[in-house]
Amino acid sequence: MSTYVYGIARNSPALERASRTPGVGDPPRPVRVLSHGRIAALVSDVTEELRPKRRDLLAHQNVLSEAGTAGAVLPLRFGGMSPDDEAVAAALAEREEHYLERLQAVDGKDEFNVKADHDEEAVLHRVLADDPELRAMGLAQQAAGGGSQQDKMRLGELIVEAVRQREELDRAEVQRALEGAAVDSAPAPEGSGRVANVSYLVERDRAEEFLAAVTAFQQANPQLRLQVNGPLPPYSFVE
Amino acid sequence: MTVVPAQQSSGSRGGSTGLYDVLELILDRGLVIDAFVRVSLVGIEILKIDVRVVVASVDTYLRFAEACNRLDLESGNSKDPGLPDLVGEITESGARGKSKGALAGAAQSVSDVFSGGRDDEEEKESRPRARRSTSSSRRKEEQE
Repeated sequence: MSTYVYGIARNSPALERASRTPGVGDPPRPVRVLSHGRIAALVSDVTEELRPKRRDLLAHQNVLSEAGTAGAVLPLRFGGMSPDDEAVAAALAEREEHYLERLQAVDGKDEFNVKADHDEEAVLHRVLADDPELRAMGLAQQAAGGGSQQDKMRLGELIVEAVRQREELDRAEVQRALEGAAVDSAPAPEGSGRVANVSYLVERDRAEEFLAAVTAFQQANPQLRLQVNGPLPPYSFVE
Repeated sequence: MTVVPAQQSSGSRGGSTGLYDVLELILDRGLVIDAFVRVSLVGIEILKIDVRVVVASVDTYLRFAEACNRLDLESGNSKDPGLPDLVGEITESGARGKSKGALAGAAQSVSDVFSGGRDDEEEKESRPRARRSTSSSRRKEEQE
């Protein structure tokens, strides 16, 4: 038997609320509060052969969400296990000040993850509208019934380059449009394959303002498809 | 735009909405404590298609030129991208199915999760590209 750890919070009786949420495992193990000094970990027993299933991912997320209603919580990455409770307590003790500092930083805030992709047809319209020469080439090619293979290659190459530039511009514009309503932001690691994939740390009482900024930005930028997920535990703001 | 409503008050229920979209956060971010071991992620397969949104290639050039040919350039106005039939058209337009997909296809950072158990067999087939629509339907099934 090992100890599965969901997250770290300030030691508070309100944490017991999270222990009513079923934990990982099959059958789900009850969630416990393991306190050490001023901080506490949300844990549950887990057998060594725990396999990450969908319901376990959900349990991890749900325990953290529920704990978040009681106060700031630092979510652990899914799957963190300690040999026993004593080792958890030792880990808490080792970096107590650091965890308290991070808890302070995320207090009263939630993570919102924003993903942006280009809408193909809309972005083509956009880059052709922004570049009269390119648009003229497109019109000429249409008038010629599609143009020769060589014409297509040339136009296609120019369009691809224009779309690539639009990607970079849009990435920057997403950031510019949304960072004002957030206190911090964390882009996904390079190579997410999206125009933008950024998490924002947003004060709870400014969440509506943040979402309104997303909506306004979406309306002004039909070439983008924005997807917002949140509020979430502050996964991206724990370090 | 999808805004996943707050799940905080529900606790035990309703947390499944958007799990797929936040998987990368649950699995790749969050605090890591060195002294802890991590549960084996065997049985969970995350497919990440890490490609530039627009791949420069002959195929892509031709595809974009063709797409340009189909555009209504006279109007100059962007169509409302939110129209469902437009979404369908882009999905069907082929980008997604090709290994060198551009835009709509490549823009998907496909991270699919196959939980253990009943999905094991399917998982072994290791398809070259997990489609979002596929995972969505699976997700619905698993909610049961």
